[in-house]
Amino acid sequence: MTSTVKPDVSPEWHGEDVMIRDVLDALTQIRDKFARAEAGDDEHIHPRNCVMTLIGVAPSEAHEELARRTTLTIGTQHPAQAIVIREEAPIRGRHLDAWITSEVRRSEVACAWQCEIITLHVHGRAAEHLAELVDPLLVSGVPTYLWWLGTPPFGKKELVDALRVCDGLVVDSARFEEPYNSFRRMAALLKVAHHRLGIADVQWARLRPWRESIAQFFTPVERRGFLNGISEIGVDYAGQGRGNRIAAALITGWIAAALGWKLKRAAAGTGGVVVAHYEAGNRFIEVDFRPVEKDHLASGEVSAVRIGGASQGTTFRLSVQHDPVRRPALSEPAYRSLHHAGGEDDAGMELAERRAEWHRDVLHENLDSLHHTATGDPPGESRPKRPRVLTTERRRPDSTRVLLTMIEIGDGAPLRHVQQMEPEDEPALLLDLLSTGTHDDVYNRSLAAASELVDKF
Amino acid sequence: MKVEEAPNPLAEGLHDYRVADPAVMVIFGATGDLSGRKLLPALYNLAKQRSLPAGFAVVGTGRDDLTDQAFRKHAADKIHEFSRTQPIDDRVLAALLDSLTYVKVEFSKLEDFKTLAAKLQELDNTRLIPGNRIFYCATPPTTYELIAVQLQAAGLNTSPGFRRIVIEKPFGLDLKSARALTETLHKVFPEDSVYRIDHYLGKETVQNILAFRFANAIFEPVWNTNLIDSVQITVAEDIGLENRGSYYDRTGALRDIVQNHGLQLVALVAMEPPLAFEATAVRDEKVKVLRAIRPLIGEDIEQSTVRGQYAKGWVLGEQVGGYREEPDVAPESPTETFAALRLFIDNWRWAGVPFYIRAGKRLPKRITEIRIQFKRPPHLTFGREAMKEVDPNALTLRIQPEEGISLKFGAKVPSAGLRIRSVTMDFQYMTSFLVEAPEAYERLLLDCMIGDPTLFTRADEVEAAWMFIDPIEESWRNGRPPLGTYPAGMWGPPAAAQLLQADGREWHRP
Repeated sequence: MTSTVKPDVSPEWHGEDVMIRDVLDALTQIRDKFARAEAGDDEHIHPRNCVMTLIGVAPSEAHEELARRTTLTIGTQHPAQAIVIREEAPIRGRHLDAWITSEVRRSEVACAWQCEIITLHVHGRAAEHLAELVDPLLVSGVPTYLWWLGTPPFGKKELVDALRVCDGLVVDSARFEEPYNSFRRMAALLKVAHHRLGIADVQWARLRPWRESIAQFFTPVERRGFLNGISEIGVDYAGQGRGNRIAAALITGWIAAALGWKLKRAAAGTGGVVVAHYEAGNRFIEVDFRPVEKDHLASGEVSAVRIGGASQGTTFRLSVQHDPVRRPALSEPAYRSLHHAGGEDDAGMELAERRAEWHRDVLHENLDSLHHTATGDPPGESRPKRPRVLTTERRRPDSTRVLLTMIEIGDGAPLRHVQQMEPEDEPALLLDLLSTGTHDDVYNRSLAAASELVDKF
Repeated sequence: MKVEEAPNPLAEGLHDYRVADPAVMVIFGATGDLSGRKLLPALYNLAKQRSLPAGFAVVGTGRDDLTDQAFRKHAADKIHEFSRTQPIDDRVLAALLDSLTYVKVEFSKLEDFKTLAAKLQELDNTRLIPGNRIFYCATPPTTYELIAVQLQAAGLNTSPGFRRIVIEKPFGLDLKSARALTETLHKVFPEDSVYRIDHYLGKETVQNILAFRFANAIFEPVWNTNLIDSVQITVAEDIGLENRGSYYDRTGALRDIVQNHGLQLVALVAMEPPLAFEATAVRDEKVKVLRAIRPLIGEDIEQSTVRGQYAKGWVLGEQVGGYREEPDVAPESPTETFAALRLFIDNWRWAGVPFYIRAGKRLPKRITEIRIQFKRPPHLTFGREAMKEVDPNALTLRIQPEEGISLKFGAKVPSAGLRIRSVTMDFQYMTSFLVEAPEAYERLLLDCMIGDPTLFTRADEVEAAWMFIDPIEESWRNGRPPLGTYPAGMWGPPAAAQLLQADGREWHRP
């Protein structure tokens, strides 16, 4: 039985139970035909333009569709060769089934190019030898990226072999099955990967607006000293369980690695609360993770980051929130009796509400003892042993998204700043990573620091 | 190093993400054409890519009596119409509009500048801005000096943060007026706070000239008189005056394009490697080139320059009128709409290599490119017959619109015999990097906010350029060489082709 997945556009060529040599012959003919057609009678044949080979490895039909859609979108903007490999596909013959689709793009400002997508359905031992399978297809002289949809087989020879022919591995740690374990295995890959290999994580690209907002706060020279005065960081994340704290750990790992903090201890309590302590010189920084219920966020997404501290007698507090819920103003919300809003404007209301949330943090800090008092269970024992994470629901299509930054310095009035996050778009995120060549030392350092933190959960 | 002096460690690795300090940008002429077409859309796109810092504010000023709301409405309309990114993101736009206010300012009234000062102080307090100011003169060049003087009189050049003034070309109409402008500006702002925008320098492909030359080892050894035969620079527009008749008729192609864009491109192609891509180093090297251009004097000007004016003709398939039929142009106007010239750079690297520049309006197409023509091989190994279809090697740097680089070289024609034919190797800028290039004004506005003047023109560059242009302009005013005409849609008057033919060369067809 052949797969039910077919390319969206009619293939230029299709072969069942074929070998890579057949695919190569077909490719040569397709390219030759295109080049001659474009050149016309009088012109020279234009050289083929290609900026990369992008290999998508798809473990399922849904992943295959996603890979093909994404590579087509990228390929129609940037001349590239895409290879989509469906692992363990139900094929009839002994070899492989292959499709070649191509779409011609004519730009107003460049020569026409052909976006080629080579889809290979493989199974059995062939699937375990991806490097040998794709090597003959690779375009010489341009980088090769391996985009592994789903969860790569970290630690297995199959993956290490496949990476031999690649310059970069792209994954999405927000879509891992068993995210906790997979994330730790991915961090371990850093130590064994060949020196040319870059590792890129789509989740890291999603965190970019957060990193920008936080970095922006500390950029003015007069605020640079605050970096040495940070005393507390709070990260709210959606969902529960240690597998949903990966993004929060990456943000924390990024800050800790950039500022040279050393992790001293970390512990996860019940209800998804994590407390960690870092040391920076003779200072200690407390980091708290807190799960929040946010319907509009996918499990594992960061909902808010709060950074506070003091430097040379001036206190500061930065809060970055993802799509804060803008509730209609109530006549007298309960929190306002405890935390005066100081006015009817949005900034005042949100500030008061946020103070109330900080107030509630005290409860969270004492959650374990309160839980023990209420249930009699030792702290931590009555939580589910393996929090269940439904990978199919980990990412959701999203709409417009904003980051709301609130800045308080000293006794000054809070400053409110709204920035837009791009709608989540797989090709855009992937391009963001690929455009940097997947070699990102900051990510590598952040990954190592996040992994160290995650180990303690 | 103190922590304040060190780079922000949290900004490391944020590729293409450069963060400016909070500041207020005051736009003089905020309801004008430049502001509407370029500045406000550029600010919107910077906000969209999250490059505007928290607290950043814009104060629009103008002679109109507008409310904040009316100015915001005006800004929103212009952003909708002219933003390079569409559709407009309403939430980004709303956040940007929140940061916009308006103050009525008549340049002659000091009181208005004092009102402006009070508004800026208020914004400092409410938006945590440490006194940083950018004054953008999106106004006619004749107002720059008055604005600077009034800023000083209102004490607006002495706030605690940084203070920068941005002015648009032309920077004077000749050497004398350029020096006078600089002198006035320097009474109010030091040179490192004066940002002279030549938007060409903000184009990615113009910056790529430096990357191409100095990030590659293989081109620099051939980049000199030993192997380069000549350099051609074309800055062609297919449009006419587009309602700029009164300005253009007083300016002409030489001063509008050649004095700035044209000579800046010459400088970038011909400069020596700077020590670093850093403002002082880059601009020092550019000035050296501009000062090394051999002055054209007396008969040189008649022999080495061509001026022309377009007459009725056909452009892009449409019939268009002649220059003197354009609105706000004098019926007997002697203003040139086409300028071509040959210049030499008297230094070791470029001795004897002619640089040909041509610029004009109503030419067959809009294109800017630099063509480096190499010398022929010293010996025809394959014989004259085999080589008859081979042009000399040429490297073309296309600035706009088809941004890219192509190298022409000879290759064997597949056949039993031995025939060589020219082929090209193309690099297409827009499809090769998996990212979209920003608009020049976005780049330059952000550079100004950050305080990086590398891509802005320094006073001594401006003066060096005028020193070369002034004698030509004077000679042209005296009718030497005579003004030629060309039908719209042609590559200038016949004298332009003759200029190269006299040297045994011809213009490359872009």
